[in-house]
Amino acid sequence: MDLTGAGSTLLTRDNFLVVELDRFQGPLDLLLHLIHEQDVDIFHIPIARITDQFLAAIQVLRSDQLEGAGEFLEMAATLIRIKAQMLLPRQEGEEDQDPRAELVHRLLEYEQIREISNCLKTAEAERGRRFAKGWVPTRPRPEISDTPLETTWEDVWEVALQVALPDPADRRHTLPALSVSMEDKVSLIVTSLAEKVRVEFSRLLCGFEDKTHAVMTLLAGLELSRRHEIFLRQVTPFSELWLYRRREDDEGPPTGGREPVPEEPEIPRGTRRRPPWMPPEEDEPADPLAVLDVDSDDQGADTMGWETE
Amino acid sequence: MNITQIVEAVLFASDAPLKAEEIARADGSLDEDIVEKAIRTLQAQYGDSERSFQVVELAEGFQILTRAEFDPYLERFDTIPRPSRLSGPGLETLAIIAYRQPIGRIEIEYVRGVACGGVIRTLQDRALVDVVARGEGVGRPLLYGTTQRFLDHFGFRSIDDLPRAEELPVVLRERIPLGAEAGDRLTSEPDHG
Repeated sequence: MDLTGAGSTLLTRDNFLVVELDRFQGPLDLLLHLIHEQDVDIFHIPIARITDQFLAAIQVLRSDQLEGAGEFLEMAATLIRIKAQMLLPRQEGEEDQDPRAELVHRLLEYEQIREISNCLKTAEAERGRRFAKGWVPTRPRPEISDTPLETTWEDVWEVALQVALPDPADRRHTLPALSVSMEDKVSLIVTSLAEKVRVEFSRLLCGFEDKTHAVMTLLAGLELSRRHEIFLRQVTPFSELWLYRRREDDEGPPTGGREPVPEEPEIPRGTRRRPPWMPPEEDEPADPLAVLDVDSDDQGADTMGWETE
Repeated sequence: MNITQIVEAVLFASDAPLKAEEIARADGSLDEDIVEKAIRTLQAQYGDSERSFQVVELAEGFQILTRAEFDPYLERFDTIPRPSRLSGPGLETLAIIAYRQPIGRIEIEYVRGVACGGVIRTLQDRALVDVVARGEGVGRPLLYGTTQRFLDHFGFRSIDDLPRAEELPVVLRERIPLGAEAGDRLTSEPDHG
Protein backbone atom coordinates (compact mmCIF):
# COMPACT_ATOMS: atom_id res chain seq x y z
CA MET A 1 0.00 0.00 0.00
CA ASP A 2 1.54 3.22 -1.15
CA LEU A 3 0.83 5.67 1.62
CA THR A 4 4.40 6.51 2.59
CA GLY A 5 4.62 9.83 0.86
CA ALA A 6 1.24 11.15 1.85
CA GLY A 7 0.85 9.74 5.32
CA SER A 8 0.62 12.91 7.36
CA THR A 9 -1.21 14.98 4.84
CA LEU A 10 -3.64 12.17 4.37
CA LEU A 11 -4.40 12.26 8.04
CA THR A 12 -5.32 15.91 8.00
CA ARG A 13 -7.23 15.39 4.84
CA ASP A 14 -9.09 12.60 6.55
CA ASN A 15 -10.10 14.90 9.33
CA PHE A 16 -11.21 17.46 6.82
CA LEU A 17 -13.33 14.92 5.07
CA VAL A 18 -14.82 13.67 8.31
CA VAL A 19 -16.40 17.04 8.77
CA GLU A 20 -17.27 17.65 5.18
CA LEU A 21 -18.69 14.35 4.04
CA ASP A 22 -22.27 15.53 4.39
CA ARG A 23 -21.57 18.21 1.87
CA PHE A 24 -20.71 15.85 -0.94
CA GLN A 25 -23.61 15.08 -3.16
CA GLY A 26 -22.47 11.54 -3.72
CA PRO A 27 -19.48 9.30 -4.35
CA LEU A 28 -18.63 10.91 -7.70
CA ASP A 29 -18.56 14.28 -6.04
CA LEU A 30 -16.24 12.98 -3.32
CA LEU A 31 -14.02 11.24 -5.85
CA LEU A 32 -13.73 14.38 -7.95
CA HIS A 33 -12.86 16.31 -4.85
CA LEU A 34 -10.06 13.89 -3.98
CA ILE A 35 -8.70 14.05 -7.51
CA HIS A 36 -8.78 17.84 -7.73
CA GLU A 37 -7.44 18.28 -4.24
CA GLN A 38 -4.27 16.40 -5.10
CA ASP A 39 -3.97 17.74 -8.61
CA VAL A 40 -4.16 14.27 -10.05
CA ASP A 41 -4.44 13.75 -13.80
CA ILE A 42 -7.89 12.37 -14.24
CA PHE A 43 -6.72 10.11 -17.07
CA HIS A 44 -4.03 8.59 -14.92
CA ILE A 45 -5.68 8.16 -11.58
CA PRO A 46 -3.41 6.52 -9.03
CA ILE A 47 -6.16 4.08 -8.28
CA ALA A 48 -4.59 2.48 -5.21
CA ARG A 49 -4.04 5.78 -3.43
CA ILE A 50 -7.42 7.23 -4.33
CA THR A 51 -9.13 4.01 -3.25
CA ASP A 52 -7.51 4.11 0.15
CA GLN A 53 -8.38 7.77 0.62
CA PHE A 54 -11.92 7.12 -0.46
CA LEU A 55 -12.26 4.24 2.01
CA ALA A 56 -10.78 6.36 4.78
CA ALA A 57 -13.20 9.16 4.02
CA ILE A 58 -16.27 6.98 4.18
CA GLN A 59 -15.15 5.29 7.40
CA VAL A 60 -17.12 7.94 9.23
CA LEU A 61 -20.41 6.87 7.73
CA ARG A 62 -22.48 5.75 10.65
CA SER A 63 -25.13 3.11 10.69
CA ASP A 64 -27.87 5.75 10.84
CA GLN A 65 -26.72 7.14 7.51
CA LEU A 66 -27.12 3.89 5.69
CA GLU A 67 -29.53 5.35 3.18
CA GLY A 68 -26.84 7.41 1.52
CA ALA A 69 -24.04 5.04 2.47
CA GLY A 70 -24.97 2.45 -0.12
CA GLU A 71 -23.89 4.70 -2.96
CA PHE A 72 -20.52 5.35 -1.34
CA LEU A 73 -20.03 1.67 -0.62
CA GLU A 74 -20.90 0.76 -4.19
CA MET A 75 -18.28 3.19 -5.42
CA ALA A 76 -15.80 1.73 -2.95
CA ALA A 77 -16.48 -1.70 -4.41
CA THR A 78 -15.98 -0.39 -7.92
CA LEU A 79 -12.66 1.18 -6.95
CA ILE A 80 -11.45 -2.02 -5.34
CA ARG A 81 -12.46 -4.02 -8.41
CA ILE A 82 -10.56 -1.62 -10.66
CA LYS A 83 -7.58 -1.79 -8.36
CA ALA A 84 -7.63 -5.58 -8.57
CA GLN A 85 -7.94 -5.52 -12.35
CA MET A 86 -4.96 -3.20 -12.54
CA LEU A 87 -2.87 -5.78 -10.72
CA LEU A 88 -3.89 -8.63 -12.98
CA PRO A 89 -1.75 -9.27 -16.03
CA ARG A 90 -3.59 -8.21 -19.15
CA GLN A 91 -4.34 -10.68 -21.82
CA GLU A 92 -3.37 -10.28 -25.41
CA GLY A 93 -5.69 -7.99 -27.36
CA GLU A 94 -6.77 -6.05 -24.27
CA GLU A 95 -3.73 -3.82 -24.21
CA ASP A 96 -5.72 -0.65 -24.61
CA GLN A 97 -8.53 -1.65 -22.33
CA ASP A 98 -7.83 0.38 -19.20
CA PRO A 99 -9.96 -0.84 -16.28
CA ARG A 100 -10.27 2.78 -15.21
CA ALA A 101 -11.79 3.93 -18.49
CA GLU A 102 -15.45 3.67 -17.52
CA LEU A 103 -14.86 5.38 -14.18
CA VAL A 104 -12.92 8.16 -15.82
CA HIS A 105 -15.68 8.76 -18.29
CA ARG A 106 -18.26 8.84 -15.55
CA LEU A 107 -16.18 11.35 -13.64
CA LEU A 108 -15.73 13.56 -16.69
CA GLU A 109 -19.37 13.34 -17.47
CA TYR A 110 -20.36 14.18 -13.93
CA GLU A 111 -17.96 17.10 -13.93
CA GLN A 112 -19.58 18.26 -17.13
CA ILE A 113 -23.03 18.04 -15.58
CA ARG A 114 -21.86 20.11 -12.67
CA GLU A 115 -20.59 22.76 -15.03
CA ILE A 116 -23.89 22.79 -16.83
CA SER A 117 -25.78 23.08 -13.58
CA ASN A 118 -23.63 26.08 -12.74
CA CYS A 119 -24.64 27.60 -16.06
CA LEU A 120 -28.25 26.87 -15.21
CA LYS A 121 -27.80 28.47 -11.82
CA THR A 122 -26.50 31.64 -13.42
CA ALA A 123 -29.34 31.64 -15.93
CA GLU A 124 -31.83 31.08 -13.15
CA ALA A 125 -30.47 34.00 -11.13
CA GLU A 126 -30.53 36.27 -14.17
CA ARG A 127 -34.08 35.27 -15.04
CA GLY A 128 -35.08 35.78 -11.40
CA ARG A 129 -34.28 39.46 -11.71
CA ARG A 130 -37.03 39.99 -14.23
CA PHE A 131 -40.64 39.97 -13.21
CA ALA A 132 -43.73 39.18 -15.15
CA LYS A 133 -47.06 40.63 -14.27
CA GLY A 134 -47.93 39.20 -10.89
CA TRP A 135 -49.85 36.01 -10.87
CA VAL A 136 -52.88 36.10 -8.65
CA PRO A 137 -54.18 32.72 -7.59
CA THR A 138 -57.81 32.22 -8.45
CA ARG A 139 -60.11 32.73 -5.52
CA PRO A 140 -61.74 29.57 -4.22
CA ARG A 141 -65.41 29.50 -5.03
CA PRO A 142 -67.83 29.48 -2.13
CA GLU A 143 -69.11 26.02 -1.48
CA ILE A 144 -72.61 25.56 -2.77
CA SER A 145 -74.25 22.45 -1.50
CA ASP A 146 -75.86 20.15 -3.99
CA THR A 147 -78.90 19.55 -1.81
CA PRO A 148 -81.99 20.23 -3.90
CA LEU A 149 -83.96 23.26 -2.85
CA GLU A 150 -87.20 22.27 -1.12
CA THR A 151 -88.72 25.72 -0.88
CA THR A 152 -91.30 26.41 -3.56
CA TRP A 153 -92.12 29.74 -5.11
CA GLU A 154 -95.46 29.66 -3.27
CA ASP A 155 -93.62 29.58 0.05
CA VAL A 156 -91.60 32.58 -0.92
CA TRP A 157 -94.68 34.44 -2.10
CA GLU A 158 -96.53 33.68 1.13
CA VAL A 159 -93.72 35.04 3.22
CA ALA A 160 -93.44 38.07 0.99
CA LEU A 161 -97.12 38.89 1.56
CA GLN A 162 -96.59 38.86 5.29
CA VAL A 163 -93.93 41.47 5.13
CA ALA A 164 -95.59 44.66 6.36
CA LEU A 165 -94.53 47.92 4.90
CA PRO A 166 -93.17 50.27 7.53
CA ASP A 167 -95.68 52.82 8.87
CA PRO A 168 -95.02 56.19 7.19
CA ALA A 169 -95.39 57.76 10.62
CA ASP A 170 -92.26 55.93 11.73
CA ARG A 171 -90.25 57.66 9.09
CA ARG A 172 -90.95 61.07 10.59
CA HIS A 173 -87.98 62.58 12.20
CA THR A 174 -88.48 65.36 14.66
CA LEU A 175 -85.90 67.91 15.55
CA PRO A 176 -86.26 69.49 18.99
CA ALA A 177 -86.72 73.23 18.80
CA LEU A 178 -83.95 75.34 20.19
CA SER A 179 -84.60 75.83 23.84
CA VAL A 180 -82.74 79.10 23.91
CA SER A 181 -83.91 81.94 21.71
CA MET A 182 -81.66 84.69 20.50
CA GLU A 183 -84.36 87.28 21.29
CA ASP A 184 -84.15 86.38 24.96
CA LYS A 185 -80.44 86.88 24.93
CA VAL A 186 -80.64 90.15 23.04
CA SER A 187 -83.08 91.51 25.58
CA LEU A 188 -80.90 90.20 28.39
CA ILE A 189 -77.93 92.15 27.05
CA VAL A 190 -79.98 95.26 26.40
CA THR A 191 -81.51 95.08 29.87
CA SER A 192 -78.12 94.60 31.46
CA LEU A 193 -76.61 97.52 29.59
CA ALA A 194 -79.55 99.75 30.47
CA GLU A 195 -78.42 99.51 34.05
CA LYS A 196 -74.66 99.52 33.54
CA VAL A 197 -72.26 100.87 30.97
CA ARG A 198 -70.51 97.52 30.56
CA VAL A 199 -71.03 93.98 31.55
CA GLU A 200 -68.84 90.88 31.56
CA PHE A 201 -69.85 88.21 29.19
CA SER A 202 -69.55 85.63 31.93
CA ARG A 203 -71.95 87.52 34.15
CA LEU A 204 -74.60 87.25 31.48
CA LEU A 205 -74.18 83.50 31.72
CA CYS A 206 -74.69 83.31 35.44
CA GLY A 207 -77.48 80.94 36.26
CA PHE A 208 -77.43 79.19 32.87
CA GLU A 209 -75.80 75.81 32.91
CA ASP A 210 -76.20 74.80 29.30
CA LYS A 211 -73.51 75.61 26.82
CA THR A 212 -76.22 76.62 24.37
CA HIS A 213 -76.82 79.74 26.46
CA ALA A 214 -73.21 80.78 26.07
CA VAL A 215 -73.39 80.26 22.32
CA MET A 216 -76.64 82.15 21.95
CA THR A 217 -75.45 84.96 24.20
CA LEU A 218 -72.33 85.32 22.10
CA LEU A 219 -74.37 85.32 18.90
CA ALA A 220 -76.72 87.92 20.38
CA GLY A 221 -73.75 90.05 21.37
CA LEU A 222 -72.28 89.78 17.89
CA GLU A 223 -75.65 90.63 16.37
CA LEU A 224 -76.05 93.72 18.57
CA SER A 225 -72.51 94.71 17.76
CA ARG A 226 -73.28 94.39 14.09
CA ARG A 227 -76.26 96.66 14.57
CA HIS A 228 -73.97 99.20 16.25
CA GLU A 229 -75.97 98.99 19.45
CA ILE A 230 -73.10 97.73 21.60
CA PHE A 231 -69.44 97.04 21.16
CA LEU A 232 -67.27 94.22 22.37
CA ARG A 233 -63.87 94.23 23.97
CA GLN A 234 -61.44 91.55 24.84
CA VAL A 235 -57.96 92.35 26.09
CA THR A 236 -56.25 89.14 25.10
CA PRO A 237 -57.51 85.92 23.57
CA PHE A 238 -59.39 83.84 26.14
CA SER A 239 -59.56 86.71 28.60
CA GLU A 240 -62.85 88.10 29.84
CA LEU A 241 -65.12 89.52 27.17
CA TRP A 242 -66.80 92.83 27.93
CA LEU A 243 -69.91 94.21 26.39
CA TYR A 244 -70.24 98.01 26.34
CA ARG A 245 -73.24 100.19 25.98
CA ARG A 246 -72.93 102.54 23.08
CA ARG A 247 -74.06 106.09 23.50
CA GLU A 248 -75.91 107.93 20.79
CA ASP A 249 -72.97 110.18 20.00
CA ASP A 250 -70.38 107.48 20.41
CA GLU A 251 -68.37 106.57 17.39
CA GLY A 252 -67.15 103.37 18.79
CA PRO A 253 -63.92 102.72 20.50
CA PRO A 254 -61.47 105.51 20.03
CA THR A 255 -59.01 104.50 17.39
CA GLY A 256 -57.55 107.73 16.22
CA GLY A 257 -55.16 110.12 17.92
CA ARG A 258 -52.24 109.33 20.06
CA GLU A 259 -52.68 109.65 23.74
CA PRO A 260 -50.22 108.92 26.47
CA VAL A 261 -50.07 105.22 26.96
CA PRO A 262 -51.03 104.24 30.44
CA GLU A 263 -49.50 101.30 32.20
CA GLU A 264 -50.74 98.10 30.75
CA PRO A 265 -53.06 96.55 33.26
CA GLU A 266 -52.04 93.25 34.61
CA ILE A 267 -54.35 90.51 33.58
CA PRO A 268 -54.85 87.96 36.31
CA ARG A 269 -53.11 84.78 35.28
CA GLY A 270 -55.95 82.52 36.20
CA THR A 271 -58.35 84.20 33.83
CA ARG A 272 -56.34 84.02 30.66
CA ARG A 273 -57.30 80.60 29.51
CA ARG A 274 -60.82 80.64 30.74
CA PRO A 275 -63.52 80.06 28.15
CA PRO A 276 -65.97 82.95 28.04
CA TRP A 277 -68.93 80.95 29.28
CA MET A 278 -67.21 79.92 32.46
CA PRO A 279 -68.06 82.00 35.50
CA PRO A 280 -65.17 84.14 36.69
CA GLU A 281 -63.17 83.07 39.65
CA GLU A 282 -64.07 84.61 42.98
CA ASP A 283 -60.93 86.63 43.37
CA GLU A 284 -60.86 88.02 39.88
CA PRO A 285 -60.52 91.73 40.04
CA ALA A 286 -63.17 92.70 37.60
CA ASP A 287 -61.86 96.10 36.88
CA PRO A 288 -63.49 97.47 33.76
CA LEU A 289 -61.62 100.73 34.04
CA ALA A 290 -58.27 99.03 33.61
CA VAL A 291 -59.53 97.51 30.42
CA LEU A 292 -60.96 100.79 29.33
CA ASP A 293 -57.63 102.48 29.78
CA VAL A 294 -55.98 100.02 27.54
CA ASP A 295 -58.70 100.27 25.01
CA SER A 296 -58.34 103.98 24.83
CA ASP A 297 -55.05 103.47 23.11
CA ASP A 298 -54.85 102.50 19.47
CA GLN A 299 -52.03 100.17 20.30
CA GLY A 300 -54.61 97.82 21.63
CA ALA A 301 -55.85 97.08 18.16
CA ASP A 302 -52.97 94.90 17.16
CA THR A 303 -51.80 93.57 20.48
CA MET A 304 -54.95 93.03 22.43
CA GLY A 305 -57.10 90.59 20.64
CA TRP A 306 -60.09 91.26 18.56
CA GLU A 307 -62.76 93.83 18.55
CA THR A 308 -66.04 93.87 16.84
CA GLU A 309 -68.25 96.69 15.75
CA MET B 1 -57.18 50.75 -32.09
CA ASN B 2 -54.53 49.15 -34.21
CA ILE B 3 -52.94 45.72 -34.48
CA THR B 4 -49.95 46.64 -32.34
CA GLN B 5 -52.26 47.71 -29.55
CA ILE B 6 -54.21 44.45 -29.71
CA VAL B 7 -51.00 42.45 -29.46
CA GLU B 8 -49.88 44.66 -26.59
CA ALA B 9 -53.14 44.13 -24.71
CA VAL B 10 -52.85 40.36 -25.05
CA LEU B 11 -49.23 40.38 -23.89
CA PHE B 12 -50.05 42.68 -21.01
CA ALA B 13 -52.91 40.55 -19.73
CA SER B 14 -51.13 37.21 -19.96
CA ASP B 15 -49.25 35.83 -16.98
CA ALA B 16 -47.30 33.28 -19.03
CA PRO B 17 -45.35 33.44 -22.29
CA LEU B 18 -47.54 33.27 -25.38
CA LYS B 19 -46.49 31.97 -28.78
CA ALA B 20 -47.03 34.26 -31.76
CA GLU B 21 -49.58 31.85 -33.17
CA GLU B 22 -51.49 31.93 -29.88
CA ILE B 23 -51.57 35.72 -29.88
CA ALA B 24 -52.80 35.64 -33.47
CA ARG B 25 -55.98 33.93 -32.27
CA ALA B 26 -57.05 37.20 -30.66
CA ASP B 27 -58.39 38.54 -33.92
CA GLY B 28 -59.12 37.30 -37.42
CA SER B 29 -56.96 40.01 -38.94
CA LEU B 30 -53.85 38.61 -37.26
CA ASP B 31 -51.42 35.92 -38.30
CA GLU B 32 -48.06 34.83 -36.96
CA ASP B 33 -46.04 37.20 -39.14
CA ILE B 34 -48.20 40.21 -38.32
CA VAL B 35 -47.96 39.42 -34.61
CA GLU B 36 -44.18 39.13 -34.76
CA LYS B 37 -43.96 42.39 -36.66
CA ALA B 38 -46.17 44.06 -34.06
CA ILE B 39 -43.92 42.69 -31.31
CA ARG B 40 -40.85 44.18 -33.02
CA THR B 41 -42.71 47.50 -33.11
CA LEU B 42 -43.53 47.26 -29.43
CA GLN B 43 -39.96 46.34 -28.58
CA ALA B 44 -38.73 49.39 -30.46
CA GLN B 45 -41.34 51.62 -28.82
CA TYR B 46 -40.50 50.41 -25.33
CA GLY B 47 -36.82 50.84 -26.04
CA ASP B 48 -37.25 54.36 -27.39
CA SER B 49 -39.43 55.50 -24.53
CA GLU B 50 -37.19 53.81 -21.95
CA ARG B 51 -39.92 51.73 -20.39
CA SER B 52 -39.08 49.69 -17.29
CA PHE B 53 -40.33 46.58 -19.06
CA GLN B 54 -39.67 44.80 -22.34
CA VAL B 55 -41.29 42.25 -24.57
CA VAL B 56 -38.98 39.29 -24.01
CA GLU B 57 -38.70 36.21 -26.18
CA LEU B 58 -39.08 33.40 -23.72
CA ALA B 59 -39.99 29.73 -23.67
CA GLU B 60 -40.83 29.69 -27.38
CA GLY B 61 -43.14 32.64 -26.89
CA PHE B 62 -43.27 36.24 -25.77
CA GLN B 63 -43.93 37.87 -22.44
CA ILE B 64 -43.70 41.33 -20.93
CA LEU B 65 -41.06 41.33 -18.22
CA THR B 66 -39.51 44.09 -16.18
CA ARG B 67 -35.92 44.96 -16.99
CA ALA B 68 -33.40 43.26 -14.74
CA GLU B 69 -32.05 46.49 -13.25
CA PHE B 70 -35.34 47.17 -11.43
CA ASP B 71 -34.98 43.99 -9.41
CA PRO B 72 -33.91 45.75 -6.16
CA TYR B 73 -37.10 47.80 -6.08
CA LEU B 74 -39.43 44.85 -6.55
CA GLU B 75 -38.12 42.25 -4.19
CA ARG B 76 -39.65 43.56 -0.99
CA PHE B 77 -43.28 43.42 -2.05
CA ASP B 78 -45.50 40.60 -0.85
CA THR B 79 -47.76 41.12 -3.81
CA ILE B 80 -44.93 40.45 -6.27
CA PRO B 81 -44.10 36.74 -6.41
CA ARG B 82 -40.50 35.96 -5.52
CA PRO B 83 -38.61 33.72 -7.90
CA SER B 84 -37.69 30.40 -6.33
CA ARG B 85 -34.25 28.86 -6.66
CA LEU B 86 -33.46 25.21 -7.21
CA SER B 87 -31.13 23.22 -4.97
CA GLY B 88 -27.80 21.86 -6.17
CA PRO B 89 -29.11 18.30 -6.68
CA GLY B 90 -32.16 19.77 -8.40
CA LEU B 91 -29.99 21.68 -10.86
CA GLU B 92 -27.76 18.66 -11.52
CA THR B 93 -30.70 16.40 -12.16
CA LEU B 94 -32.32 18.99 -14.39
CA ALA B 95 -29.08 19.42 -16.35
CA ILE B 96 -28.94 15.68 -17.02
CA ILE B 97 -32.58 15.57 -18.09
CA ALA B 98 -32.18 18.65 -20.29
CA TYR B 99 -29.28 17.14 -22.27
CA ARG B 100 -30.37 13.56 -22.35
CA GLN B 101 -34.11 13.74 -22.70
CA PRO B 102 -35.97 11.46 -22.81
CA ILE B 103 -34.18 9.76 -19.96
CA GLY B 104 -35.18 7.35 -17.22
CA ARG B 105 -34.49 7.52 -13.52
CA ILE B 106 -31.91 4.70 -13.50
CA GLU B 107 -29.79 6.49 -16.10
CA ILE B 108 -29.99 9.80 -14.23
CA GLU B 109 -28.86 8.04 -11.09
CA TYR B 110 -25.95 6.44 -12.91
CA VAL B 111 -24.67 9.82 -14.01
CA ARG B 112 -25.08 11.44 -10.61
CA GLY B 113 -24.05 8.38 -8.66
CA VAL B 114 -26.86 8.89 -6.14
CA ALA B 115 -30.57 8.15 -5.84
CA CYS B 116 -32.69 10.79 -7.54
CA GLY B 117 -36.31 9.72 -7.01
CA GLY B 118 -37.13 12.53 -4.59
CA VAL B 119 -35.42 15.18 -6.67
CA ILE B 120 -37.25 14.09 -9.82
CA ARG B 121 -40.54 14.17 -7.93
CA THR B 122 -39.83 17.73 -6.81
CA LEU B 123 -38.94 18.82 -10.33
CA GLN B 124 -42.11 17.21 -11.58
CA ASP B 125 -44.22 18.95 -8.92
CA ARG B 126 -42.79 22.24 -10.07
CA ALA B 127 -43.63 21.37 -13.67
CA LEU B 128 -40.00 21.72 -14.75
CA VAL B 129 -39.89 18.15 -16.03
CA ASP B 130 -42.57 15.72 -17.00
CA VAL B 131 -42.95 12.16 -18.19
CA VAL B 132 -42.66 12.35 -21.96
CA ALA B 133 -42.46 8.69 -22.92
CA ARG B 134 -41.97 5.18 -21.67
CA GLY B 135 -38.77 3.33 -22.36
CA GLU B 136 -38.25 -0.08 -23.86
CA GLY B 137 -37.24 -2.99 -21.71
CA VAL B 138 -38.20 -4.34 -18.36
CA GLY B 139 -41.01 -2.46 -16.65
CA ARG B 140 -41.28 0.11 -19.46
CA PRO B 141 -39.51 2.78 -17.35
CA LEU B 142 -40.84 6.33 -17.31
CA LEU B 143 -38.76 8.72 -19.39
CA TYR B 144 -38.52 12.34 -18.41
CA GLY B 145 -38.10 15.51 -20.43
CA THR B 146 -38.09 19.25 -19.78
CA THR B 147 -41.15 21.47 -20.12
CA GLN B 148 -42.01 25.00 -21.26
CA ARG B 149 -41.86 25.97 -17.63
CA PHE B 150 -38.23 24.86 -17.58
CA LEU B 151 -37.43 27.28 -20.40
CA ASP B 152 -39.33 30.04 -18.63
CA HIS B 153 -37.61 29.36 -15.31
CA PHE B 154 -34.16 29.77 -16.83
CA GLY B 155 -35.05 32.48 -19.31
CA PHE B 156 -34.34 30.34 -22.39
CA ARG B 157 -36.07 31.03 -25.67
CA SER B 158 -35.84 27.39 -26.64
CA ILE B 159 -33.89 24.28 -25.72
CA ASP B 160 -31.21 25.47 -28.18
CA ASP B 161 -30.34 28.27 -25.76
CA LEU B 162 -28.66 25.72 -23.52
CA PRO B 163 -24.88 25.56 -23.92
CA ARG B 164 -24.39 23.43 -27.01
CA ALA B 165 -23.37 19.87 -26.35
CA GLU B 166 -20.58 20.03 -28.95
CA GLU B 167 -19.13 23.11 -27.27
CA LEU B 168 -18.78 21.26 -24.00
CA PRO B 169 -15.33 19.94 -23.14
CA VAL B 170 -16.64 16.43 -22.59
CA VAL B 171 -18.89 14.72 -25.05
CA LEU B 172 -22.00 13.58 -23.31
CA ARG B 173 -23.09 10.13 -24.29
CA GLU B 174 -26.40 9.71 -25.96
CA ARG B 175 -27.33 6.67 -23.94
CA ILE B 176 -25.71 5.13 -20.96
CA PRO B 177 -23.97 1.88 -21.87
CA LEU B 178 -24.50 -0.88 -19.41
CA GLY B 179 -20.98 -2.20 -19.75
CA ALA B 180 -17.61 -0.51 -19.93
CA GLU B 181 -17.08 0.58 -23.51
CA ALA B 182 -15.46 3.97 -23.28
CA GLY B 183 -11.91 2.77 -23.55
CA ASP B 184 -11.47 3.46 -27.25
CA ARG B 185 -13.01 6.88 -27.00
CA LEU B 186 -10.91 7.70 -23.99
CA THR B 187 -7.62 7.22 -25.77
CA SER B 188 -8.62 9.77 -28.38
CA GLU B 189 -9.66 12.37 -25.78
CA PRO B 190 -7.37 15.33 -25.38
CA ASP B 191 -5.37 15.26 -22.21
CA HIS B 192 -7.15 17.10 -19.45
CA GLY B 193 -4.43 17.18 -16.88
